[in-house]
Amino acid sequence: MKSQSEEKKYMPVISQKEIDELRNVIKATSQRIIAENIERMKKTDTNRPKAMQYFDEIANFGTREKEIRAAKESGKKVIGYMCLFAPIELILAADAIPVRVNSGWYDTSKLGDRVVPVEVCPMVRSTIGAKMIGLSPYLELSDALISALTCDGMTKLGEILSDYKPVWAMVLPRVKDSARSLRLWNEEIKAVKRQIEALTGNKIRQKQLKYAIELTQKATKAFRRLQELRNGSPVIMGRDAMLVNQTYMWDDIQRWTEKTEALCDELEKRARQKIWACPPDTPRVMVTGTPMIWPDNWKLPTLIEEANPQGVLVADELCSSERLLYDPVGVDEWTMNDMLKAIGERYLMASTCSCFTSEDGNEDRINWLLNKVKEWDIQGVIYYVVRGCMLYAIEYTRVKKVLDRLNIPVYYLDTEYTREDVGQMKTRVEAFLEMLTARIDI
Amino acid sequence: MIMQLIGEILKLTVLAGLALAGVLVILIWKKGLATKVTYLRFIIQVVAMVAIFYLFTYPVWQLIVLVVILVMPIVLGRFFCGWLCPFGLYMDVITLIRKAFKIRYRNLPDKLNKFLHNFRYVLLLVFLILPFILSLIDPPSTLEVGTLMALLFAGPFEPLRILLGPMISLIVPWEGPLEICGLYFSYPYVQEVIYYSSGIFVTINALIFLALTVVGSFFVRRVWCRFCPTGSSIAILNRLRGFKWAPVLHLNKDEEKCTKCGICKRVCPVQVNEVYEKKGGRIMTSMCMLCFRCVEMCPYEDCLKVNLGGKTVFKSRNWLEPSEVE
Repeated sequence: MKSQSEEKKYMPVISQKEIDELRNVIKATSQRIIAENIERMKKTDTNRPKAMQYFDEIANFGTREKEIRAAKESGKKVIGYMCLFAPIELILAADAIPVRVNSGWYDTSKLGDRVVPVEVCPMVRSTIGAKMIGLSPYLELSDALISALTCDGMTKLGEILSDYKPVWAMVLPRVKDSARSLRLWNEEIKAVKRQIEALTGNKIRQKQLKYAIELTQKATKAFRRLQELRNGSPVIMGRDAMLVNQTYMWDDIQRWTEKTEALCDELEKRARQKIWACPPDTPRVMVTGTPMIWPDNWKLPTLIEEANPQGVLVADELCSSERLLYDPVGVDEWTMNDMLKAIGERYLMASTCSCFTSEDGNEDRINWLLNKVKEWDIQGVIYYVVRGCMLYAIEYTRVKKVLDRLNIPVYYLDTEYTREDVGQMKTRVEAFLEMLTARIDI
Repeated sequence: MIMQLIGEILKLTVLAGLALAGVLVILIWKKGLATKVTYLRFIIQVVAMVAIFYLFTYPVWQLIVLVVILVMPIVLGRFFCGWLCPFGLYMDVITLIRKAFKIRYRNLPDKLNKFLHNFRYVLLLVFLILPFILSLIDPPSTLEVGTLMALLFAGPFEPLRILLGPMISLIVPWEGPLEICGLYFSYPYVQEVIYYSSGIFVTINALIFLALTVVGSFFVRRVWCRFCPTGSSIAILNRLRGFKWAPVLHLNKDEEKCTKCGICKRVCPVQVNEVYEKKGGRIMTSMCMLCFRCVEMCPYEDCLKVNLGGKTVFKSRNWLEPSEVE
């Protein structure tokens, strides 16, 4: 790690006093927001599944922070990642802890303005701000960061954060279904593997990697079970499910899997007893677009599910939620070579990130959406974009065209990392839901 | 005499057992219990190998097998290659051995694979024409049509044996074209190799061929299937316009459910890219030998389907759903 006195490429010099002040204020707000969000989730679904209690606890950053800190003291390394292209299996196989370090704090995005202009994606700004005052425990604890060069913001975010930590950039080919892209990406996977091995000092061997892959496969299994349960009459509110998915980004994966399976057991029981989280005729909404990160950037799901008329999120296409775990690593033969190939393919080819293009454009994402809309019986799609998120904003036109053909209403909702537009957003979301309800009545 | 009788009874018992096993397999399939196609395929391959071994002990049956492998593919495609061919089983066993040693497989470059795929037609043609050329060099004593026909189908050249090549039992200690250290070996295509060699080259050529196929299939999955002349004879018929409707067994892909994760492409033992590249609908390529490994490994429910005459017999499942994770 570089010393503090070293000249920073990007980060401004801030006095320790200011840092402490800001951190205390924002941390207090953050704690309040977490409590408030959970409180509101409880209020929406008064009979919330009991298994959700665990996720409420882990959603509070302090709990897991203590664990990771203890693990770090016992010699474990923590490896952070920004985009979900980081090969988690390799991190796990090297006995390190993977955490996702993207930040969802609104307040820190204002701090980020000191480094980059406001036009830049607020998630990037927020992460910069969080680093400035040391707010995000996971970002602080991570020994190295894996930065996949997806969108422009993420590419440069890695560069900016390299002021503090070693950042391993992974070159992501933008055209994914060609043999040469895969070759490049597999090389990147191997390079990251070497870097992980060098950092942790643990050699990744066949046995450990197999174990790690099985671990994430089990997590995917639990995750898919939860998603399947959301198909059909709503047994769980969308926000709760999103929180479950989100906690995967920092939780211990084995424990997460167990708890999610327990949650699914409970939900299955409820489905049999026909205990619904909300009336079964509630409009079924799907969100797609820019990722929404806990705790602050939770306003859209909250608005949808607390609106009058109410809507329920039954699916989403966000890299902070459903796309995290949807695809399993499919291993043909448990040799090192095949496992690495399988990991490479799972992260590159199965992803429907909007940063990809091909001869047919980002056909995979369109197909993913179409499939979800049909199978999950979605009545309306909210296309959520934060200002500065070019790639998702651009793809809106195509998504709208495709969904129009299916006669599924799409609503483009652009916003910022701010609480100020909640009132205005509420009006927009409620109008959309009203329209959906009217369509159902017809 | 008594020994022969016992032998015959033994044969019949084994055949009956195999039939029973076959029925069981079908029942398991019907009940949807066959979650792992690979295991099922292995059972069927073993059953088929033993069955073909027994059939080959009677010359009449050879003809029947020949008819079967010529007629069946018209409707079932290369199902034979993936599920019944003994040589295929043999290569699969070698693959298993490789897996046990945890040695990686190699892929052939796509271009070479394509070339080999087309090369098998040349191979077939050569094997079919060679007997004619040889008969011109060394003309038979009588030149009646009947004799020529007999020469073509059952004579010393036996060009149609090429089609039966992969089905020649692998090791028959008491008879076989190749003798090494007093043990007789029979090996797919070795008979042909020997036939076209002469003198001391007979054993050497046969051994070279044997070594090549063993080493080849150790490092490359199903290496022979990529240019097997039998496979091409199967495919030729389906290339004809009149037979396009005929294959009732084929793969179907649902475009919208596919995320292009590439698993189907990677797990394919003969490196077929069509399943991955095709947008959706029927997958018709004579490269595919319908082993359904891709369907088994596809993690998206209903994305890949195996249709048999309009009915779905097997489809990709969310294989994480049942406790399948080994």
